[in-house]
Amino acid sequence: MSTPAISIEHLRKCYGDLVAVDDLTLQIERGEFFGLLGPNGAGKTTTINTVVGLVKPTSGHIFVHGLDALRDYRRVHRLIGIAHQEIILDGQFLNAREILLYQAGYFGIPPRRAKPRADELLERFGLWEKRSARVRELSGGQKRRLLLAKALMHDPEILILDEPTAGADVELRLQLWEMLQSFHRQGKTILLTTHYLEEAERLCERVVILHEGRLRALGAPAELRRSHHRERLEDVFLELVRGEQE
Amino acid sequence: MIGFLTLLKREIVRFLKDALDTIVPPTVGVILFMLIFGLALGARLGEVDGVPYIQFVMPGLILISVIRNSFMNPAYSLFQSRWEGNIADFLVSPLSHTQIALAIILGGVLRGLIVGALVLCAALFLTDLPFAQPVLLFIYALAVSVGFAGLGCIVGLWTKGWEGVNTVNTFVLDPLVMLGGVFYSLEMVRGVPIIEPLTALNPLTYITEGFRQTVLGGSEAQMLTGLGLTLALGAICVGAALVLFRVGYHLKA
Repeated sequence: MSTPAISIEHLRKCYGDLVAVDDLTLQIERGEFFGLLGPNGAGKTTTINTVVGLVKPTSGHIFVHGLDALRDYRRVHRLIGIAHQEIILDGQFLNAREILLYQAGYFGIPPRRAKPRADELLERFGLWEKRSARVRELSGGQKRRLLLAKALMHDPEILILDEPTAGADVELRLQLWEMLQSFHRQGKTILLTTHYLEEAERLCERVVILHEGRLRALGAPAELRRSHHRERLEDVFLELVRGEQE
Repeated sequence: MIGFLTLLKREIVRFLKDALDTIVPPTVGVILFMLIFGLALGARLGEVDGVPYIQFVMPGLILISVIRNSFMNPAYSLFQSRWEGNIADFLVSPLSHTQIALAIILGGVLRGLIVGALVLCAALFLTDLPFAQPVLLFIYALAVSVGFAGLGCIVGLWTKGWEGVNTVNTFVLDPLVMLGGVFYSLEMVRGVPIIEPLTALNPLTYITEGFRQTVLGGSEAQMLTGLGLTLALGAICVGAALVLFRVGYHLKA
């Protein structure tokens, strides 16, 4: 049996007195579409940033494909592509295509392989016409798509997306959903954080609901609805987060 | 290796694409120093340590260019990447912390050497320089640029705002350079209150003097003393920068 895509064991992260993530343990299987839900400040971004090494855990362990995310960070990073919530693009002096080529370079991909890959992703994400544009010349939606293309440049096994559709209009959101589903159909693992419960219900096979850094519920959306006797995932979420009871 | 070379290329492209801000002004600034201190005032100062003042001052001015630009490039580049968040691109890649630090330092070294070479070319239009020890001169310039690029890397990690880099530049680098024997020798300020002790205590005085000897010829002991100090400074600054990267200082929450 293969090791999980991501295994988080008793993760705890404190910022001074604030406990951002508190004793979080969960496993994400290979090929799974997994959602990380919770209100602002629930610990979603801290959790995924710990997985990719941008945040140092206070205690606990993270394994990616069985590799220790702290000790084997270089091998772990090869497996992961991440699109951050903030639009982080090295766009001061690089255009859209160059951003993708540099990204490939950081992952050790030689230019002869990187160039066709960048062109393929620019086409696929509808950015070919904008390949020579600087980041400031791109619309919000185009920047979001470029972020996703950047995360996919090295063809990672695991895609981590922090609020990928935040601020996206309906059309862009549907486009992004289709792209993510297509990526998932290739057998890749997706870890998604989102505020949109409809998005989680539509895309994710399992979700975890975090509140104040602690795991409040874990399971398939339908299973959570059933076990909480609710018709909508949103009601389950509100019950867990607000402690509302009918 | 591809990852390291890509990041190094990024650092080089960053300052070359912006040469009007990164290469031209520091070169022009030092050329103005050459014209004023070398030609205008130098003619009235006569000889210093047995050479015309214009020759005396040139090696120090070349060294200033190398120091400033080697320091500025990593300090600004690193802080800008932290500020804009794209430092995450390097940190989530398979690049090791050491590779990231060395690529950023090497970017600074190259900018320092490029500006230093341009200033040297300008100096040759104004006076003759004998280049007594050309190999040692290059090693010296390289060691100085590595050391100050390492310092720039530390400052780029340490600062929490743009003003931090300027503060270090104004309150640390400028006094070190100005009181570091570029414009005068230690012998010239013997008995001058404040200036003599500050100059004598300043390690850059010995680094500048040693570098001057590699250009103009003179005491090998001074060359080697200066080079030894430079290498020690380089080892401390680069070592500290590598440690700070490894522990994720101001890089990882």
